[in-house]
Amino acid sequence: MNIPSEHDLHAYVDGRLDAARRADVEAWLARHPESAEELRAWQRDAQQLRAALAGDTLHAQPGLDPARLRRGLTRKRNARYAMAAAIVLSIGVGGLGGWQARTWSQSADAASLQARALPMADAIAAHRLFAVRHDLQPDRTDGAGDLQAWLDTHFHAPMRLPDLSVAGFRPSGVRMLSTEQGAAALVVYADPSGNAISFYIRPPGPQRHLLPRGDRRDGDLFAQYWSRGDYNYAMVSRGDSANVVRRALAGAI
Amino acid sequence: MPAHELDTALREHLPSLRRFARWLARDPHAADDLVQAALERAITRWHSRHDDQALRPWLFAIVYRQFLDAQRRSRRYAGLLSRLGLAGNEHQPSAEREFVARSALEAMQRLPVEQRSLLLWVSVEGLSYQDVADILEVPIGTVMSRLSRARQALRRLSEGETPGPALRLLK
Repeated sequence: MNIPSEHDLHAYVDGRLDAARRADVEAWLARHPESAEELRAWQRDAQQLRAALAGDTLHAQPGLDPARLRRGLTRKRNARYAMAAAIVLSIGVGGLGGWQARTWSQSADAASLQARALPMADAIAAHRLFAVRHDLQPDRTDGAGDLQAWLDTHFHAPMRLPDLSVAGFRPSGVRMLSTEQGAAALVVYADPSGNAISFYIRPPGPQRHLLPRGDRRDGDLFAQYWSRGDYNYAMVSRGDSANVVRRALAGAI
Repeated sequence: MPAHELDTALREHLPSLRRFARWLARDPHAADDLVQAALERAITRWHSRHDDQALRPWLFAIVYRQFLDAQRRSRRYAGLLSRLGLAGNEHQPSAEREFVARSALEAMQRLPVEQRSLLLWVSVEGLSYQDVADILEVPIGTVMSRLSRARQALRRLSEGETPGPALRLLK
């Protein structure tokens, strides 16, 4: 036969030739003892290498579990988005009140200014951040309608979740959030085609800054807000779903 | 592939990737850091991967690139330190290092990164020559000639630098 190709020789060493081709190479090697010796040495080296590395015991390393790494990555990413949202919010507030370094350094002032200037801006930011991007990473998903129970546990006498099922929206999950005024929560409703409506609850803060009922448009989103008992509430939807929310709230508040 | 299926697939390849990382990085902690960085990259880059790409070579390629990048960074850093007159003493031979360097495995560690990787992919992990060509982004003929050089280099090392006594000591 012809001189075997480099590919054939390596495939021979690695045991990757079919029987016929292997016989060809062996016939050639029988007539070329120096090459045969070199290939045998390559095979021995490969065996040694396998043996040496097989003995390399690896201790389980929980930190390397993919699911855990993924959760870490999601946390980092959400923290970045939340940071970005907070910066956008501060810039918006700064713009409204003129350029005020004070609103940057005194966040409590910024929060109250923001509450006066843009009611429930945090509800809209939270909706954009978690509901629109379908990235809620919920603290609780809706098993047997137990989101209400979850709210009842974490808030003092919160109102009942409005029923949007006539329009096909069902509560899918809730996420705990923090605001300047304390813990808040975002309940996301979804319809079968993936549209989202949010229900947002947060405390009014130490000055009991309760809101008159109102609504406002923010880009393509529409927020309706009100106060009741100890909390401020908002529901955020796309502009064209505003009536779904309005009808549901008409009976509820 | 949904997230949990990807996680299962990654978990399955984890031992191979860790072995490869150790083969490259030597220090087990550095190796696990390398694997972690590579897995995070795999998770975030998952959607940019071609569907027909086999998972294993794709993962090996990520570990390999990450290692080369890290090496480049640390060389740049070492260069900076030496220009500032702050170079460490990591290149001074120590008695311990001399002793460890006697084992067969250690001899192989002196091969260039690419040759070491080639030998592990082909001889230990059993990747196809085409997979290796894909990882290194070179034609398959180039893989064959580089594999020849790697095997010859390993041969020289084992002949010249694997003293019998060290091996017998291990028994």
